[in-house]
Amino acid sequence: MVLDFNTLYSPFDRFDKLFEEFLSPGVAGRKSMAYPPLNLSQDDDTIYVRAEIPGVDMSGIELTLTDKTLVLKGERKAEEGKYYRQERPAGVFHRVINLNIPVQRDKVNATMKDGLLTVALPKAEEVKPRTISIDVK
Amino acid sequence: MSDVMKKEDKSLPTFRPATDILEREDGFYIYMDLPGVHKDALVIDLQENDLTVSGKTSYPAPENERYSEMQFGNGEYRRSVSLSDIVDRERIRANLNDGVLELYLPRVEKTQPKRIEITSG
Repeated sequence: MVLDFNTLYSPFDRFDKLFEEFLSPGVAGRKSMAYPPLNLSQDDDTIYVRAEIPGVDMSGIELTLTDKTLVLKGERKAEEGKYYRQERPAGVFHRVINLNIPVQRDKVNATMKDGLLTVALPKAEEVKPRTISIDVK
Repeated sequence: MSDVMKKEDKSLPTFRPATDILEREDGFYIYMDLPGVHKDALVIDLQENDLTVSGKTSYPAPENERYSEMQFGNGEYRRSVSLSDIVDRERIRANLNDGVLELYLPRVEKTQPKRIEITSG
């Protein structure tokens, strides 16, 4: 890789690896990852967990929020019939996402659209960045 | 602006969607995983024996979000399937639901055997 700053820990390696996997066409490149693939992001107010789970509706997904983790569970069932080719992953999936920030448990919101699951976890008030006004005397 | 758009279009990675092909009593079924593809962004093209499915994902890119993990992103799905002659091309049905495309390919209806009555003369 072109960017190599450190011998001990380099977040860029990881990023580059992911990037290469996106570029490589075909399922083979993505197979090494756990199912379902996740995107984790946050803004000032909310943590977002997104997952690509095509073919499973909201009722087939179990979301459990514990103190420090969000657990995503579900099952993709295989279609009935005589198979000529079977590439779509089927079976039970289970992913645990570590949340290092406390969230407002009662305001968690999950939506599903076109096979994309989005879970929005609002951050707890006490961890939100806020401006502290300093009175100059 | 249009130049930027073009550049972005070119850099979109292409994926081969995971595909199941199976047979049931009433015909053949193809299932393709196309998460993130809206119905309007999906093109199914049949040219002679080749059925080509292509679709682009359109995930929104919210400005203020900082990503700590990214295992999927925008891209284009593309896959061709060759159809055999026993598929009735006129009656192919497609249905996109929850990010999975279901194609139903019925068999050509066989001509029913016909009994010929013999009338005595």
